[in-house]
Amino acid sequence: MSTDFFTAMEVSASGLSAQRTRMNVAASNLANAQTTQAAGGGPYKRRDVVLAAADLPNTGEMTGVVKGVEVSSIQQDQSAPRLEYDPGHPQANAQGYVAYPNINPVEEMVDMITASRAYEAGVTTMSSAVNMAEKALSIGK
Amino acid sequence: MSSDFSTIDKLGAAMTFHRERHAVLAGNVANVDTPGYRPYDITQGGAASGELELAPTEGGAMQANAEPGAAYAKTFDDGGNLAGPDGNAVSMERELAKIDANRTRYATAAELVSRRMAMLKYAAGDGSGG
Repeated sequence: MSTDFFTAMEVSASGLSAQRTRMNVAASNLANAQTTQAAGGGPYKRRDVVLAAADLPNTGEMTGVVKGVEVSSIQQDQSAPRLEYDPGHPQANAQGYVAYPNINPVEEMVDMITASRAYEAGVTTMSSAVNMAEKALSIGK
Repeated sequence: MSSDFSTIDKLGAAMTFHRERHAVLAGNVANVDTPGYRPYDITQGGAASGELELAPTEGGAMQANAEPGAAYAKTFDDGGNLAGPDGNAVSMERELAKIDANRTRYATAAELVSRRMAMLKYAAGDGSGG
């Protein structure tokens, strides 16, 4: 015996928390789609969540097969900012161009939808574990 | 002729297998967006497909194929699903279908244990069903 239902629920929980982080980052990208001056100067840079598979403690002989997930880092997208001609803008350069964040709202919306679907799948998986545990508890009733 | 409790032992082993397998499949769902992740699965020694297979015995009773304490074979199972541009080969539909089938098999084994127990209880009593 190396894993129990709580291990399965921990695995699902790690997935839920990773997807919530993706959702938060996508929301923050959308909110900052027009931020021309971020901390450190220049326009806001798009953030991207990097996920990695992670082993769980106390999985015994099942180690290496039972994998949770973790957010290994949140990277800044280094692609070039979007330039828009607006000479009256206080952040316009000498040529009259304003640097806007490298954020495409459609891309962020797609990210939010996939995160939300993956979250739902995680919830379904977790309720399956609960359902199985209930079946075990009802033996002999 | 198997002893009265060996069926329960074997069903118990099958339940353990399906419980462990659930944790593996849950890991695949959690890693549905992890770059380079390939889905894992486990199979049970004895039953090639890793399913709870029931075979009729001489007495006409059903016997589970699971052997208590048998080691599980760990495999990659992407079902021929091609990895995407990020190297991830998890198909969410496939994993959720496997989880549901696995859960049903677990529930079946649990129900069989219950029925077997009820039979033993009946036999141990005075036959009145109490």
